[in-house]
Amino acid sequence: MTLAGFMARNALRNKRRSFLTIASVALSLFLLCTLRTGLREMTNPASMEESACRVAVRHKVSIANVLPAKQRDLIKRVAGVASVMPLTWYGGVYIDEKHFFSRFAVDPAEAFRQFGEMKISPEHRDAFIKKKTGCVVGIKTMERFHFKMGDRIELAGDVWPCDVALEIVGTYRGGIDETILFFNHKYLDEASGNRGVVGCWWVLADRVDSVPRIIAEINRMFRNSDAEVLAESERAFQMGFVSMLGNVTLLIGSISGVILFTMFLVTASTMAMAIRERFREIAILKAFGFRSSDLAGLIVAESLLLAMAGGVLGCGGAWLMFRLVPIDTMTNGFFPIFEVTPGIMAQGMGIAMALGFFSCLVPAWNALRLSVVDGLKILD
Amino acid sequence: MAIPLKYNLRNLLVRWRTSVATLLGIALVVAVFVMVESLAAGLKHSFVTTGDERNLLMLRKGSTADSNSQIGRMQVDRIRYMAGIARQADGRPLLSAESVILVSLARASSQGEANVLVRGLEPAGLELRPQARLVEGRMFRGGLREVICSRQLGERFSCCQLGRSFRAGKNQFKVVGVFDAGRSAYDSEIWMDVNEARSVFDREFFSSILFRPENEEAAARLKKTIEDDRQLTSRIIREPDYFKEQTMTAGPIKWFGDFLSWIMSIGAVFAVMNTMYATIGRRIREVGTLRVLGFRRREILISFLLESLFLGLIGGVIGCLLALPLNGVATGTINLQTFSEVAFQFRVTPDLLIKGMVFSMFMGVAGGFLPARVAASTPVLQALKSV
Amino acid sequence: MIDLVELTKLYRQGDIDVTALDRVSLHIDEGEFLALMGPSGSGKSTLLHIMAGIDRPTSGQCLFRGVDVAQLSETALAEWRSRHIGFIFQTFNLIPVMTAAENVELPLLLTRLRASERRERVEFALELVGLKDRLKHLPRQLSGGQEQRVAIARAIVTDPELVVADEPTGNLDAHSAHEVMGLLATLNQTHGKTIVMVTHDPRAAQYGTRQLHLEKGELQHDTAQASPAEAEA
Repeated sequence: MTLAGFMARNALRNKRRSFLTIASVALSLFLLCTLRTGLREMTNPASMEESACRVAVRHKVSIANVLPAKQRDLIKRVAGVASVMPLTWYGGVYIDEKHFFSRFAVDPAEAFRQFGEMKISPEHRDAFIKKKTGCVVGIKTMERFHFKMGDRIELAGDVWPCDVALEIVGTYRGGIDETILFFNHKYLDEASGNRGVVGCWWVLADRVDSVPRIIAEINRMFRNSDAEVLAESERAFQMGFVSMLGNVTLLIGSISGVILFTMFLVTASTMAMAIRERFREIAILKAFGFRSSDLAGLIVAESLLLAMAGGVLGCGGAWLMFRLVPIDTMTNGFFPIFEVTPGIMAQGMGIAMALGFFSCLVPAWNALRLSVVDGLKILD
Repeated sequence: MAIPLKYNLRNLLVRWRTSVATLLGIALVVAVFVMVESLAAGLKHSFVTTGDERNLLMLRKGSTADSNSQIGRMQVDRIRYMAGIARQADGRPLLSAESVILVSLARASSQGEANVLVRGLEPAGLELRPQARLVEGRMFRGGLREVICSRQLGERFSCCQLGRSFRAGKNQFKVVGVFDAGRSAYDSEIWMDVNEARSVFDREFFSSILFRPENEEAAARLKKTIEDDRQLTSRIIREPDYFKEQTMTAGPIKWFGDFLSWIMSIGAVFAVMNTMYATIGRRIREVGTLRVLGFRRREILISFLLESLFLGLIGGVIGCLLALPLNGVATGTINLQTFSEVAFQFRVTPDLLIKGMVFSMFMGVAGGFLPARVAASTPVLQALKSV
Repeated sequence: MIDLVELTKLYRQGDIDVTALDRVSLHIDEGEFLALMGPSGSGKSTLLHIMAGIDRPTSGQCLFRGVDVAQLSETALAEWRSRHIGFIFQTFNLIPVMTAAENVELPLLLTRLRASERRERVEFALELVGLKDRLKHLPRQLSGGQEQRVAIARAIVTDPELVVADEPTGNLDAHSAHEVMGLLATLNQTHGKTIVMVTHDPRAAQYGTRQLHLEKGELQHDTAQASPAEAEA
């Protein structure tokens, strides 16, 4: 039996309150971790090392405007360009909107060269190049719909005024998004009446160092042409989508702030209640000769213990839950990955610690100043 | 006889520090709830109030929005002179073939860009949309790279204010007028002449056709004729219905709001439980005394339930008051269907406030029930003896 | 052992100063069992609190073996209490979540004693109060008299020179009160403990070797008792 053991037992004395305190801290931290993760996924989309060498080229007016196919050869001639291919958002509807996953038309010969992080077997790649109506589907989508090789997928056009009927000839693993369907751009061209247009150009640089120069050259090349372009790094292109979300980020940020504040209020009042109830005992311990500073220290420790327990439950719970729950399919691919990173968890634990510390400051200070005579007079 | 409410109110006042913390906890949860819901409500409102019941919209079959619909010149000509379409004063059909282009513009507030919907329309398009009125400047003229912008858009994109101009592609466009479309979805658009739009943005196709049939009977007939025509491969939808389809953009926000509110409310219920357990723990001797005086278990239960309900009620009022100033604040996000910016305003409706109050009272009662039952079920003698 | 010199204590109650003690001077010898009597508000508890080092006088000195307790810092005072004073309260003040043995052990946590030595002392103290068979009982499993006896064991387990008791029989029935007082008398007579006790029960006061009456903060009369009531325990 030590003094610390005594305090630990005291912390658990009112089991109900300890449970409620830990649970409310855990809930708040769970929410906080979820919001932070969501915000991070939206404002800071994951990227791979390979991404650094890639350049996205879109129409200057907006991403919804198409580019002429004839630009390809011009881009190809820019020094340092290792590969150019069209990357066109087809979209379309598979069965209905609930069966959503991304669908792009690409150049089969270049696609897996550019997206090196997406691993595909040579046989699948060759089949994709050979068969014009073939498509390659990410492993996650394959599993989600129980697709098999050779299955046919019919897509109804929404953005594009044409339907396509595809056959699965391959699958890939790896990369950030394992849900995408790629199909042959030539097939799209034919189905849509050979209008000679593409959505975007995707460019692979030979070295990371050449990327800024390639971007500058492509932008200059088409200035004042009928289809002025905006070339930017793949990363910048992704961030463009974040900007489109508008005030959502601000909204989530401020809600996180409100949650933090609420959490602080509730925890602080609970701690104050718990400690005020024990003033009499603290007075007795003081009468025996226990030092005020030691007792205050124990109060702080007790509060930290409760808050940290809540923190571990909340952050750990968020981590576990988003590992088990398929967020990508639940949000129709809006969040392809939803990972509570170690950084976010560490942040959460830091917040829990700060919470435990600050919420007991006032009660600890009161206990510290409490005179033995006054403490003994408290009857309840 | 019921225990006087005064007893509970005084108790809340005596331990005001705990009461205030709990109240604020509930208040903030309600505020967040109302805030997010008002965001969804505002977004929904802007779509639901758009369009004229008499108008029909023609889109390419399979397209989900006018921004990805394509209609050829030939098709437009065929529709334009169909029988049953209402006439303008000058005798021409009340029909506007329109072209929609997304233009990427810089935001006024933060860095970054967003797609804004530019609509090329015919003069009839203005007559077909009586809810939009020109409030400043003048109407655009064709061939001069002139546009008019909605006032709401001007608040979010400074280049859309009267007298300013913006670049899109090779061209510089001048804002010569500002219109107000009564907070409808058109308040997120830039308007210009359709033929000019098609030529400067190099559009072979139109996007959609908006027209007004002479009457209901003509509307039904036109819809059938057009949709049955295989060459047209088009669909006809009432203008308001088209915008109602787009309210799905509000879906994720509402989902997010519900998710937040539910989890936060559990936290708030815990807080109320903590408070009520503590207050009852302290007053258990009083409870014994009340019982000796002749109050029954049920009255004790009701008394404590009322106390926690009251906590919830005040918290709800504070929460609603906190969220109220948001009403009318302009904001914007992406329309998931057209991929363009939609500008709208938070709408804190009376309906939402009532929902917020019900929510707060629910939290109060849910948090107070277990503790109140403990108080009511403690045997008299034990309650009297406990220190 | 204790010398009180011109001890005065003023309280501020709202806007008015209340005199709890008015220049009280007193000498207490080693081995005395002093019963402090007087009506409520006479200042007897305040006097006890000052002697025990949990309250400070407004003026005057409280000398314990020549050391002025009132001059010690808060931290030094805490350590001084743990060495020299044992407390007995009217409401026992046992910690409800701890067993009898653990409650008695509590003051020993401030010493450098090893666990085995602490255990020995606890058992000895509980044996002294006749509760050796109640080591593992929680306070709520004991009667009031037993609780107060555990509290007495807790007060003496550190072997303090002075035991202060504030209305030790105030919450007990006549029989238990008799038991507890007998125990205190034994501590005084057999073990030589100096005891200062506040009480307003004249029967309890009979057990003391000296009775002191306080009224309105002033000493009234001081009676030494030739034959205090006999200890029966």
